[in-house]
Amino acid sequence: MAEMWISMGPQHPMTHGLWTLKVKVDGETIVDADPELGYLHRSVEKMGERRKYFMNTTLTDRLCYASSTTWTHSYVLAVEELMEVEVPTRAQYIRTIMLELQRLASHLMWAGAYMPDLGHITGALYFWRDRELFLNLLELPSGSRLLYNYMRIGGVKRDLPDGFEQKTERILKLFEQRLDEYADLFENSKIFRMRTEDVGKFTGTQAMNMGITGPNLRGCGVKHDLRVEDTYEIYEEIDWDICTREAGPGYSDCFSRYMVRIDEMKESVRIIRDCFKKMPQGPTMSSRVPVRASGEAFRRTEDSRGEALMYLVGDGSDRPYRWKIKSPMFTTISACPHYLKGYKLADIPAIMGSIDICIGETDK
Amino acid sequence: MNFKDLQKELKAIKGVSNLSLIRQNVIKIDLEKSVSKAFFTKLKEDFYFEHCSLITAVDNQPDFELVYHLSCLSGELTVDDTKMSAMIEVHIHLKRDSPSIDSVSDLWFGANWHEREAFDLMGIYFVGHPDLRRVLLPEGFAGHPLRKDYVYEIHEEEW
Amino acid sequence: MSAKGIRGNPELRRGLGSKTTDREKIMEDGPAGDWLALRSDQLLNWIDDAVYNASEATGMREVVDRVTRPIFNFAQRFSPHPLHFGIMCCAIEMGQASAPDHDIDRLGLVYRSSPRQCDVLIVNGPVCEKLRPKLKTLYEQMPEPKWVIAMGECAISGGPYWDSYSVVAGADTFMPVDVYIPGCPVRPEALMHGFLTLQKKIREKEPGMFLRRD
Repeated sequence: MAEMWISMGPQHPMTHGLWTLKVKVDGETIVDADPELGYLHRSVEKMGERRKYFMNTTLTDRLCYASSTTWTHSYVLAVEELMEVEVPTRAQYIRTIMLELQRLASHLMWAGAYMPDLGHITGALYFWRDRELFLNLLELPSGSRLLYNYMRIGGVKRDLPDGFEQKTERILKLFEQRLDEYADLFENSKIFRMRTEDVGKFTGTQAMNMGITGPNLRGCGVKHDLRVEDTYEIYEEIDWDICTREAGPGYSDCFSRYMVRIDEMKESVRIIRDCFKKMPQGPTMSSRVPVRASGEAFRRTEDSRGEALMYLVGDGSDRPYRWKIKSPMFTTISACPHYLKGYKLADIPAIMGSIDICIGETDK
Repeated sequence: MNFKDLQKELKAIKGVSNLSLIRQNVIKIDLEKSVSKAFFTKLKEDFYFEHCSLITAVDNQPDFELVYHLSCLSGELTVDDTKMSAMIEVHIHLKRDSPSIDSVSDLWFGANWHEREAFDLMGIYFVGHPDLRRVLLPEGFAGHPLRKDYVYEIHEEEW
Repeated sequence: MSAKGIRGNPELRRGLGSKTTDREKIMEDGPAGDWLALRSDQLLNWIDDAVYNASEATGMREVVDRVTRPIFNFAQRFSPHPLHFGIMCCAIEMGQASAPDHDIDRLGLVYRSSPRQCDVLIVNGPVCEKLRPKLKTLYEQMPEPKWVIAMGECAISGGPYWDSYSVVAGADTFMPVDVYIPGCPVRPEALMHGFLTLQKKIREKEPGMFLRRD
């Protein structure tokens, strides 16, 4: 049959952002794909060179609109490594709580965006409703709904407000009940599983070579999580496990990637509870934070989407000389010809939705 | 393989200099440009670095510097007795008048777009890359904006 | 376009040495598609001529406008169809506004994924050089009457990206903008207020049935 190219995006409900996917189809079967980025290239790296170190947290907040705190945290960690700043223990606990709340909100947003792709509008409304709970919770200490600017170099902006623990606990309890309800609605639903199982398969070895990290890699059964393997903050002292799933021996499909994120949400709830239990009193900001830095440093963190890496070069002034952002989605999207090939055109929303795309950090 | 053995083996390789340990699980080395391809092949085949985290191009005025961050995700490389994953940071210096180097995108597919990005924003040429086009900026954009000598117009005063 | 321009040179078309037949004489009117069908510009000319000018001359236009204006205006302002198009952070808040907590649908909003079915374009993020032609195309694909909302600082003036080499300084540099909603990001409540403002604007503009294209 004649082959032809079909272009999707930048305005297309499948894309979840601004990018173009050109697929070559033979009848209904995909034989090749060519993703194209750059519609949201804001030149954050160049702008960062013109701003002082502490000013850049405004830009990192806007890197990824779905999980802004994790990106600011990644930047702040790299700067602290560069400047050799010690962060107080209480600030580290607060950071961990905020990171996990953000991870919950991010995964809920992903789930809410994924469901309409599969024709499940109810799922979207349910997940977005739950996300609102966590946005309200994140608003309490930071004062903002979406972009918090809460992580600062040397600590956090301010201490947690009174009654934060009780409010969090109430919402977590409600959320856990709802997750059980959703298990009936999605995991045990025949239609949902038909749409997601055995679709978009790749093996763990392939994924590592293609640069796929995070939940997408853990969906292949690879036990890799930078919160343990390049540990930061107080993840060492917290009682938690790495969640892995696999669809078959060593490979993942859309369903296993969905299940990993659901498991991670449950694990995040556990981490937050444990943090509150072990959190000490004390200052939340380091007493001495330098303005200038020289040398080079990098830190990698486990973002909601995978491995986030910030590489900073300082030249002794108060602005970074070079600032490089590694986005996990950049390489994951680049590998999409590999995991789209051989599937039908109608599977594209299910596959591309399951890898959790966020174009903000990808295009920088 | 243990991380300590890796350091010993790396020291013996020709072209590697200034080996240092910048964190418990991160090695930093300088590498000569001429041996880069053979060295990266060895890293991937023998030393289990199966994931290319990042390729950064730095404009050091006047010369360029390429920084490769490669990591081992599968746990074949062990760092002492911890669960940490090993990482290596490779620095390669390039002359400004000939900013080109052998591509590693046939070793790690994940390096493909990192190289395209370095070409797009910094103007580094990767020899042997299958598809070296601009990735973030539109086709026909003049210049490579992350170079320090790139000038663009901003009306406001710098702060 | 004149018929001659389409036909080209008849000598060349016939080929050298061939004689003109009756059949070819008929074909000299051009391909059948040119004169058999009613082309879109011909249709629009006809509408202008027969409907608009005639109704203007006879005074029908004023009558029809007066009859249809309130009901058309009600329909337009009470069911804006925004394009389902997300650029950056504000797009998340746009989605969150549709979630059960804020439920922006009660203002009559229906998000559509095709620009052909929309009348409101929400620019909810920074417009980069690469995106600008695409956004312009989206705007031009939407049928009249249409409105544009610049949502958030980036769409208003470039916002935090004012000194970037690739971000355009605001959506109003290349397309007409009706409502500006400040905020970084815009909260769902502010988006609702923006839509109420737009509805107020539509009510005051009072278009009738006879929309001029120019």
